[in-house]
Amino acid sequence: MDHTKQEGEYGYELFPHRNMGKNKQGSIAEGQFTFNHKCQIMLQFAMETSYMDLNLTSLSSQHSKLFKDRHFSCEDCDGTVSGGFDASSSQIVLCQNNIRQQSHMNRVVTHELVHAFDHCRADVDWFNNLRHLACSEIRAANLSGDCSFSTEAARFNFGLKQHHQDCVRGRAIRSILAVRKIGQEEAEKIVNEVFNTCFNDHAPFGRIPHSKKDANFAYRDYENRDRYYSNL
Amino acid sequence: MDRSGQKLWRPPRACDDYWSEFRHCKSLWNRFHHYYTHGTSPSCQQWKEDYRNCREWEKRKSTEAKEALQRSERNRVAEQTKFTPVWKLRQYPPRDWNMPLNQDKPQDS
Repeated sequence: MDHTKQEGEYGYELFPHRNMGKNKQGSIAEGQFTFNHKCQIMLQFAMETSYMDLNLTSLSSQHSKLFKDRHFSCEDCDGTVSGGFDASSSQIVLCQNNIRQQSHMNRVVTHELVHAFDHCRADVDWFNNLRHLACSEIRAANLSGDCSFSTEAARFNFGLKQHHQDCVRGRAIRSILAVRKIGQEEAEKIVNEVFNTCFNDHAPFGRIPHSKKDANFAYRDYENRDRYYSNL
Repeated sequence: MDRSGQKLWRPPRACDDYWSEFRHCKSLWNRFHHYYTHGTSPSCQQWKEDYRNCREWEKRKSTEAKEALQRSERNRVAEQTKFTPVWKLRQYPPRDWNMPLNQDKPQDS
């Protein structure tokens, strides 16, 4: 893979530590240790919430078992980005300097797990197919709680009727613009093209999980899937 | 496959699951979330109907109830899959999912 092209055109500049070598665990820089340590702890908590049960289990069933040490990386990132999914190394990047609260960590992990799930179950061409990228971003914004009423209200985006969809559209466009050198209009066009399909693709949840109860019901459906499909 | 499976058929979900889905659908939180997402009120009657048919099957093994339940669930699946996917599904997971990370990547410095 052409790494020069990658760094310039695929948003890798937002994650400056991605290509610097992974031997950061032995670092004695104090700031690094504090942020990194906090990130690891929040990640551990995030993976134990009920939202994660289904994400993690369904990934395992795709024969893509998730190992915390292999598939997650806490790093410093540029700007305000919170995380990313690096398809070339099959890793979820968590921005230890930008994630300060547990609820934020939960959302970021869920968001990136949707990308990982898409990567494992479909032939997603992350680098060359903008429709694929847009689709995964729509799904991630839709299913992770990024656009829940309370999360939006905390950003002072007060909307009610169908606001969820406006939010998903907006965040998908922003995510694409952050990692690809294309114009606003082109990003909007691509998101609109794939919106209907991707907004209604709720795998692996089978529904949009707005609450813990939704997440628990989704997990129940997943555990019941053999009985379900054999009796249709 | 249908004939031999008939004796062993049971509703796709436990009857209590239909009832709890109905209750959840009607709840205030769910109605709020539905309005926030779709701009409309959720329609929950189908869950109640499915619960009724499920109980009917349990009590009387009614063919009508069974077929109604199957129709309803197949509709649900069809609703979820009616859009043409943007990508092709994989047969096998990505080969490099568990490969060890590269310590030294080629750098242009």
